[in-house]
Amino acid sequence: MTTELTTEINMRCDLEGRIIVITSGKGGVGKTTATASIGAALALEGKRVVVVDMDIGLRNLDVVMGLENRIIFNIVDAVKGKCKLRQASVKDRRIDNLYLIPASQSDNKDVLNPREMTDFSGELRKEFDYVLMDCPAGIERGFENSVAAADEAIVICAPEVSSVRDADRIIGLLYSRSITPKLVVNRIVPEMVERGDMLNHLDVVDVLSIELIGLVPMDDQVVVSTNTGTPLVLQKKSPAGEAFCRIARRIDGMTDLPIEVPRTDQRLWKKIAGKFGFGK
Amino acid sequence: MFNDFFKKMMGSKGDNSRDVAKKRLKFALIYDKLEVSDDTLNNLHRDIVEVISRYFEIDQEAFKLDIRRSDELSALIVNTPILSAKHRNGRADV
Repeated sequence: MTTELTTEINMRCDLEGRIIVITSGKGGVGKTTATASIGAALALEGKRVVVVDMDIGLRNLDVVMGLENRIIFNIVDAVKGKCKLRQASVKDRRIDNLYLIPASQSDNKDVLNPREMTDFSGELRKEFDYVLMDCPAGIERGFENSVAAADEAIVICAPEVSSVRDADRIIGLLYSRSITPKLVVNRIVPEMVERGDMLNHLDVVDVLSIELIGLVPMDDQVVVSTNTGTPLVLQKKSPAGEAFCRIARRIDGMTDLPIEVPRTDQRLWKKIAGKFGFGK
Repeated sequence: MFNDFFKKMMGSKGDNSRDVAKKRLKFALIYDKLEVSDDTLNNLHRDIVEVISRYFEIDQEAFKLDIRRSDELSALIVNTPILSAKHRNGRADV
Protein backbone atom coordinates (compact mmCIF):
# COMPACT_ATOMS: atom_id res chain seq x y z
CA MET A 1 0.00 0.00 0.00
CA THR A 2 2.72 2.44 1.01
CA THR A 3 4.87 1.64 -2.00
CA GLU A 4 1.90 2.00 -4.27
CA LEU A 5 1.18 5.39 -2.80
CA THR A 6 4.73 6.67 -3.17
CA THR A 7 4.96 5.58 -6.79
CA GLU A 8 1.72 7.37 -7.45
CA ILE A 9 3.01 10.52 -5.82
CA ASN A 10 6.25 10.26 -7.78
CA MET A 11 4.33 9.89 -10.99
CA ARG A 12 2.18 12.89 -10.17
CA CYS A 13 5.13 15.10 -9.36
CA ASP A 14 6.47 15.32 -12.85
CA LEU A 15 3.12 15.43 -14.60
CA GLU A 16 0.53 18.13 -14.09
CA GLY A 17 -3.09 17.30 -14.83
CA ARG A 18 -4.92 18.51 -17.90
CA ILE A 19 -7.92 20.79 -17.52
CA ILE A 20 -10.51 20.29 -20.24
CA VAL A 21 -13.65 22.38 -20.49
CA ILE A 22 -16.71 20.76 -22.04
CA THR A 23 -18.92 23.37 -23.58
CA SER A 24 -21.54 23.96 -26.27
CA GLY A 25 -23.10 27.38 -26.03
CA LYS A 26 -26.60 26.03 -26.44
CA GLY A 27 -28.24 24.11 -23.62
CA GLY A 28 -29.60 20.60 -23.87
CA VAL A 29 -27.15 19.15 -26.36
CA GLY A 30 -25.54 16.76 -23.90
CA LYS A 31 -22.69 18.53 -22.12
CA THR A 32 -23.45 17.03 -18.74
CA THR A 33 -23.90 13.51 -20.09
CA ALA A 34 -20.67 13.90 -22.06
CA THR A 35 -18.76 15.18 -19.03
CA ALA A 36 -20.00 12.36 -16.81
CA SER A 37 -19.35 9.70 -19.45
CA ILE A 38 -15.92 10.86 -20.63
CA GLY A 39 -14.88 11.36 -17.01
CA ALA A 40 -16.01 7.85 -16.06
CA ALA A 41 -14.32 6.36 -19.12
CA LEU A 42 -11.01 8.10 -18.36
CA ALA A 43 -11.20 6.81 -14.78
CA LEU A 44 -11.81 3.29 -16.10
CA GLU A 45 -8.59 3.74 -18.09
CA GLY A 46 -6.87 4.15 -14.73
CA LYS A 47 -6.56 7.92 -14.58
CA ARG A 48 -7.37 10.07 -11.58
CA VAL A 49 -10.31 12.15 -12.77
CA VAL A 50 -12.43 14.91 -11.31
CA VAL A 51 -15.51 16.27 -13.02
CA VAL A 52 -16.47 19.77 -11.92
CA ASP A 53 -20.03 21.08 -12.19
CA MET A 54 -19.67 24.76 -13.09
CA ASP A 55 -23.41 25.34 -13.47
CA ILE A 56 -23.74 27.20 -10.19
CA GLY A 57 -27.36 27.58 -9.16
CA LEU A 58 -28.57 24.82 -11.49
CA ARG A 59 -26.49 21.82 -10.60
CA ASN A 60 -27.17 18.58 -12.43
CA LEU A 61 -23.96 16.65 -12.87
CA ASP A 62 -24.47 15.17 -9.39
CA VAL A 63 -27.83 13.56 -10.29
CA VAL A 64 -26.58 12.36 -13.66
CA MET A 65 -23.74 10.61 -11.82
CA GLY A 66 -25.99 9.38 -9.00
CA LEU A 67 -23.97 11.14 -6.32
CA GLU A 68 -26.57 13.70 -5.21
CA ASN A 69 -27.05 12.18 -1.75
CA ARG A 70 -23.44 12.49 -0.75
CA ILE A 71 -22.78 16.19 -1.25
CA ILE A 72 -21.42 18.09 1.70
CA PHE A 73 -19.25 20.81 0.21
CA ASN A 74 -19.22 22.29 -3.28
CA ILE A 75 -17.04 24.15 -5.78
CA VAL A 76 -17.77 27.55 -4.22
CA ASP A 77 -16.68 26.30 -0.77
CA ALA A 78 -13.49 24.87 -2.26
CA VAL A 79 -12.59 27.97 -4.29
CA LYS A 80 -13.33 30.31 -1.37
CA GLY A 81 -11.20 28.16 0.94
CA LYS A 82 -14.10 27.16 3.21
CA CYS A 83 -13.07 23.52 2.79
CA LYS A 84 -10.20 21.48 1.42
CA LEU A 85 -10.25 20.30 -2.17
CA ARG A 86 -10.46 16.70 -0.94
CA GLN A 87 -13.50 17.49 1.19
CA ALA A 88 -15.34 18.94 -1.78
CA SER A 89 -14.49 15.96 -4.01
CA VAL A 90 -17.20 13.30 -3.82
CA LYS A 91 -15.76 9.89 -4.61
CA ASP A 92 -17.68 7.60 -6.93
CA ARG A 93 -18.10 4.20 -5.29
CA ARG A 94 -18.50 2.23 -8.52
CA ILE A 95 -15.54 3.57 -10.44
CA ASP A 96 -12.16 3.99 -8.79
CA ASN A 97 -10.36 7.29 -9.20
CA LEU A 98 -13.51 9.15 -10.25
CA TYR A 99 -14.49 12.24 -8.28
CA LEU A 100 -17.15 14.92 -8.55
CA ILE A 101 -16.98 18.49 -7.33
CA PRO A 102 -20.61 19.59 -7.34
CA ALA A 103 -21.89 23.09 -8.05
CA SER A 104 -23.42 25.15 -5.31
CA GLN A 105 -27.19 25.26 -5.58
CA SER A 106 -27.84 28.39 -3.50
CA ASP A 107 -25.45 30.87 -5.14
CA ASN A 108 -25.44 32.40 -8.59
CA LYS A 109 -22.66 32.45 -11.17
CA ASP A 110 -21.27 35.81 -10.08
CA VAL A 111 -20.13 34.33 -6.79
CA LEU A 112 -16.97 33.15 -8.59
CA ASN A 113 -14.70 35.02 -10.96
CA PRO A 114 -12.21 33.82 -13.60
CA ARG A 115 -9.22 34.89 -11.52
CA GLU A 116 -10.26 32.80 -8.54
CA MET A 117 -10.76 29.86 -10.87
CA THR A 118 -7.28 30.23 -12.35
CA ASP A 119 -5.79 30.32 -8.85
CA PHE A 120 -7.77 27.27 -7.82
CA SER A 121 -6.77 25.32 -10.93
CA GLY A 122 -3.22 24.83 -9.68
CA GLU A 123 -4.55 22.72 -6.83
CA LEU A 124 -6.73 20.68 -9.20
CA ARG A 125 -3.80 20.00 -11.53
CA LYS A 126 -1.67 18.68 -8.67
CA GLU A 127 -4.36 16.34 -7.43
CA PHE A 128 -5.75 14.89 -10.68
CA ASP A 129 -4.65 13.66 -14.12
CA TYR A 130 -7.80 15.00 -15.75
CA VAL A 131 -10.07 17.82 -14.68
CA LEU A 132 -13.26 18.04 -16.75
CA MET A 133 -15.20 21.27 -16.41
CA ASP A 134 -18.92 20.94 -17.16
CA CYS A 135 -19.60 24.41 -18.52
CA PRO A 136 -23.09 25.94 -18.21
CA ALA A 137 -24.99 27.01 -21.32
CA GLY A 138 -24.50 30.59 -22.39
CA ILE A 139 -21.50 32.85 -22.88
CA GLU A 140 -21.67 34.83 -19.65
CA ARG A 141 -19.88 34.53 -16.33
CA GLY A 142 -20.40 30.78 -16.00
CA PHE A 143 -18.62 30.27 -19.31
CA GLU A 144 -15.83 32.68 -18.37
CA ASN A 145 -15.28 30.87 -15.08
CA SER A 146 -15.21 27.45 -16.71
CA VAL A 147 -12.81 28.47 -19.46
CA ALA A 148 -10.48 30.58 -17.31
CA ALA A 149 -8.28 27.73 -16.18
CA ALA A 150 -8.74 25.34 -19.10
CA ASP A 151 -5.90 24.14 -21.31
CA GLU A 152 -8.17 22.41 -23.78
CA ALA A 153 -11.81 22.43 -24.83
CA ILE A 154 -14.30 19.98 -26.23
CA VAL A 155 -17.28 21.47 -28.00
CA ILE A 156 -20.41 19.32 -27.96
CA CYS A 157 -22.73 19.93 -30.87
CA ALA A 158 -25.97 18.32 -32.02
CA PRO A 159 -26.56 18.06 -35.77
CA GLU A 160 -29.15 20.82 -35.91
CA VAL A 161 -29.04 24.41 -37.06
CA SER A 162 -29.37 26.15 -33.69
CA SER A 163 -26.77 24.00 -31.98
CA VAL A 164 -24.20 24.36 -34.78
CA ARG A 165 -24.66 28.11 -34.85
CA ASP A 166 -24.07 28.42 -31.11
CA ALA A 167 -21.09 26.06 -31.35
CA ASP A 168 -19.58 28.36 -33.97
CA ARG A 169 -19.89 31.31 -31.61
CA ILE A 170 -18.33 29.36 -28.74
CA ILE A 171 -15.47 28.21 -30.97
CA GLY A 172 -14.73 31.84 -31.82
CA LEU A 173 -14.66 32.75 -28.13
CA LEU A 174 -12.34 29.83 -27.36
CA TYR A 175 -9.94 30.80 -30.16
CA SER A 176 -9.80 34.32 -28.76
CA ARG A 177 -8.55 32.75 -25.53
CA SER A 178 -5.90 30.77 -27.44
CA ILE A 179 -7.72 27.46 -26.98
CA THR A 180 -8.10 25.22 -30.03
CA PRO A 181 -11.24 23.19 -29.35
CA LYS A 182 -12.11 19.71 -30.55
CA LEU A 183 -15.56 18.66 -31.69
CA VAL A 184 -17.98 15.96 -30.58
CA VAL A 185 -21.12 15.58 -32.67
CA ASN A 186 -23.74 14.21 -30.29
CA ARG A 187 -27.27 12.85 -30.76
CA ILE A 188 -26.83 11.59 -34.28
CA VAL A 189 -29.90 9.71 -35.54
CA PRO A 190 -28.48 7.48 -38.31
CA GLU A 191 -31.93 6.80 -39.83
CA MET A 192 -32.53 10.51 -40.29
CA VAL A 193 -29.05 11.10 -41.67
CA GLU A 194 -29.56 8.31 -44.20
CA ARG A 195 -32.94 9.73 -45.16
CA GLY A 196 -31.35 13.14 -45.68
CA ASP A 197 -33.33 14.72 -42.86
CA MET A 198 -30.43 15.46 -40.55
CA LEU A 199 -27.10 17.18 -41.05
CA ASN A 200 -24.42 14.51 -41.19
CA HIS A 201 -21.16 14.82 -39.30
CA LEU A 202 -19.29 15.94 -42.42
CA ASP A 203 -21.69 18.87 -42.82
CA VAL A 204 -21.07 19.91 -39.22
CA VAL A 205 -17.29 19.59 -39.52
CA ASP A 206 -17.43 21.48 -42.82
CA VAL A 207 -19.28 24.40 -41.24
CA LEU A 208 -17.31 24.55 -37.99
CA SER A 209 -13.94 23.49 -39.44
CA ILE A 210 -12.36 22.18 -36.23
CA GLU A 211 -10.89 18.78 -35.48
CA LEU A 212 -13.40 16.01 -34.83
CA ILE A 213 -12.79 13.82 -31.80
CA GLY A 214 -15.94 11.68 -31.75
CA LEU A 215 -19.41 10.90 -33.03
CA VAL A 216 -22.13 9.86 -30.60
CA PRO A 217 -25.45 8.35 -31.68
CA MET A 218 -28.80 9.17 -30.10
CA ASP A 219 -29.32 6.49 -27.47
CA ASP A 220 -32.31 5.65 -25.24
CA GLN A 221 -29.86 4.34 -22.67
CA VAL A 222 -28.86 7.93 -21.85
CA VAL A 223 -32.31 8.55 -20.35
CA VAL A 224 -32.23 5.19 -18.58
CA SER A 225 -28.82 5.85 -17.05
CA THR A 226 -29.85 9.35 -15.97
CA ASN A 227 -33.03 7.93 -14.43
CA THR A 228 -31.04 5.55 -12.27
CA GLY A 229 -27.89 7.60 -11.80
CA THR A 230 -25.63 4.87 -13.15
CA PRO A 231 -22.70 5.74 -15.40
CA LEU A 232 -23.57 5.34 -19.06
CA VAL A 233 -20.21 3.75 -19.78
CA LEU A 234 -21.08 0.89 -17.40
CA GLN A 235 -24.35 0.13 -19.24
CA LYS A 236 -24.09 -2.86 -21.45
CA LYS A 237 -24.92 -2.32 -25.09
CA SER A 238 -25.10 1.45 -24.94
CA PRO A 239 -23.91 2.81 -28.31
CA ALA A 240 -23.51 6.30 -26.82
CA GLY A 241 -21.56 4.89 -23.87
CA GLU A 242 -19.21 3.06 -26.22
CA ALA A 243 -18.74 6.20 -28.30
CA PHE A 244 -17.81 8.19 -25.17
CA CYS A 245 -15.32 5.47 -24.18
CA ARG A 246 -13.59 5.80 -27.53
CA ILE A 247 -13.54 9.59 -27.16
CA ALA A 248 -11.89 9.19 -23.76
CA ARG A 249 -9.20 6.95 -25.27
CA ARG A 250 -8.53 9.48 -28.00
CA ILE A 251 -8.18 12.24 -25.39
CA ASP A 252 -5.83 9.98 -23.47
CA GLY A 253 -3.41 9.62 -26.34
CA MET A 254 -4.85 6.98 -28.67
CA THR A 255 -5.14 9.54 -31.42
CA ASP A 256 -5.16 6.97 -34.19
CA LEU A 257 -8.29 5.22 -32.89
CA PRO A 258 -10.67 5.47 -35.85
CA ILE A 259 -13.84 7.52 -35.46
CA GLU A 260 -16.82 5.28 -36.07
CA VAL A 261 -19.77 6.75 -37.90
CA PRO A 262 -23.07 5.74 -36.27
CA ARG A 263 -25.12 3.56 -38.62
CA THR A 264 -28.58 2.08 -38.61
CA ASP A 265 -28.59 -1.49 -37.40
CA GLN A 266 -28.70 -3.62 -40.51
CA ARG A 267 -31.34 -6.24 -39.87
CA LEU A 268 -31.37 -9.27 -42.11
CA TRP A 269 -34.57 -8.57 -43.95
CA LYS A 270 -33.54 -4.98 -44.49
CA LYS A 271 -30.28 -6.18 -45.98
CA ILE A 272 -32.27 -8.39 -48.32
CA ALA A 273 -34.51 -5.45 -49.19
CA GLY A 274 -31.37 -3.44 -49.84
CA LYS A 275 -30.12 -6.09 -52.23
CA PHE A 276 -33.25 -5.71 -54.27
CA GLY A 277 -32.66 -2.01 -54.52
CA PHE A 278 -35.38 -0.58 -52.32
CA GLY A 279 -33.73 -0.51 -48.94
CA LYS A 280 -33.16 3.20 -48.98
CA MET B 1 -37.51 0.86 -44.47
CA PHE B 2 -40.75 -0.07 -46.22
CA ASN B 3 -42.17 3.32 -45.33
CA ASP B 4 -39.31 4.91 -47.20
CA PHE B 5 -39.95 2.60 -50.09
CA PHE B 6 -43.61 3.60 -50.28
CA LYS B 7 -42.72 7.24 -49.90
CA LYS B 8 -40.36 6.89 -52.82
CA MET B 9 -43.05 5.18 -54.88
CA MET B 10 -45.55 7.89 -54.09
CA GLY B 11 -42.94 10.53 -54.79
CA SER B 12 -44.18 12.44 -51.76
CA LYS B 13 -40.72 13.40 -50.59
CA GLY B 14 -39.67 16.64 -52.17
CA ASP B 15 -36.99 18.71 -50.49
CA ASN B 16 -34.20 17.24 -48.50
CA SER B 17 -34.31 18.99 -45.13
CA ARG B 18 -30.64 18.35 -44.49
CA ASP B 19 -29.66 20.46 -47.49
CA VAL B 20 -32.02 23.21 -46.39
CA ALA B 21 -30.51 23.10 -42.89
CA LYS B 22 -26.98 23.35 -44.20
CA LYS B 23 -27.79 26.24 -46.48
CA ARG B 24 -29.61 28.18 -43.77
CA LEU B 25 -26.81 27.50 -41.33
CA LYS B 26 -24.12 28.79 -43.65
CA PHE B 27 -26.01 32.02 -44.25
CA ALA B 28 -26.78 32.45 -40.57
CA LEU B 29 -23.10 32.18 -39.72
CA ILE B 30 -22.08 34.63 -42.42
CA TYR B 31 -24.66 37.11 -41.15
CA ASP B 32 -23.60 36.57 -37.56
CA LYS B 33 -20.04 37.42 -38.42
CA LEU B 34 -21.04 40.56 -40.31
CA GLU B 35 -23.06 41.85 -37.43
CA VAL B 36 -21.64 45.18 -36.37
CA SER B 37 -22.28 46.68 -32.97
CA ASP B 38 -23.95 50.07 -32.61
CA ASP B 39 -20.77 51.51 -31.14
CA THR B 40 -18.77 50.53 -34.21
CA LEU B 41 -21.38 52.01 -36.51
CA ASN B 42 -21.46 55.27 -34.57
CA ASN B 43 -17.69 55.57 -34.63
CA LEU B 44 -17.61 54.83 -38.35
CA HIS B 45 -20.33 57.44 -38.91
CA ARG B 46 -18.33 60.07 -37.02
CA ASP B 47 -15.08 59.27 -38.84
CA ILE B 48 -16.63 59.29 -42.29
CA VAL B 49 -18.36 62.61 -41.65
CA GLU B 50 -15.05 64.02 -40.50
CA VAL B 51 -13.16 62.85 -43.60
CA ILE B 52 -15.81 63.98 -46.08
CA SER B 53 -16.09 67.33 -44.34
CA ARG B 54 -12.47 68.05 -45.22
CA TYR B 55 -13.42 68.11 -48.87
CA PHE B 56 -17.10 68.98 -48.95
CA GLU B 57 -19.59 70.96 -47.03
CA ILE B 58 -22.21 68.32 -46.21
CA ASP B 59 -25.58 68.24 -44.55
CA GLN B 60 -24.63 66.33 -41.43
CA GLU B 61 -28.25 65.87 -40.37
CA ALA B 62 -29.14 64.13 -43.61
CA PHE B 63 -26.02 61.94 -43.64
CA LYS B 64 -26.97 58.26 -43.75
CA LEU B 65 -24.89 55.18 -43.10
CA ASP B 66 -26.31 51.73 -43.63
CA ILE B 67 -25.24 48.13 -44.07
CA ARG B 68 -27.26 46.21 -46.60
CA ARG B 69 -27.08 42.47 -46.96
CA SER B 70 -28.10 40.15 -49.70
CA ASP B 71 -27.40 36.46 -50.23
CA GLU B 72 -24.16 37.04 -52.04
CA LEU B 73 -22.68 40.14 -50.51
CA SER B 74 -22.95 42.91 -48.00
CA ALA B 75 -22.62 46.55 -48.86
CA LEU B 76 -21.86 49.61 -46.84
CA ILE B 77 -24.04 52.39 -48.14
CA VAL B 78 -23.22 56.00 -47.41
CA ASN B 79 -25.60 58.66 -48.58
CA THR B 80 -25.04 62.35 -48.03
CA PRO B 81 -26.22 65.56 -49.64
CA ILE B 82 -23.31 67.79 -50.65
CA LEU B 83 -23.91 71.49 -50.00
CA SER B 84 -20.72 72.74 -51.63
CA ALA B 85 -17.15 71.78 -52.43
CA LYS B 86 -14.43 73.19 -50.26
CA HIS B 87 -11.71 75.01 -52.15
CA ARG B 88 -8.26 73.64 -52.06
CA ASN B 89 -6.65 76.50 -50.26
CA GLY B 90 -9.45 76.23 -47.77
CA ARG B 91 -7.67 73.35 -46.03
CA ALA B 92 -4.27 72.86 -47.60
CA ASP B 93 -2.02 74.67 -45.15
CA VAL B 94 -3.90 73.98 -41.97
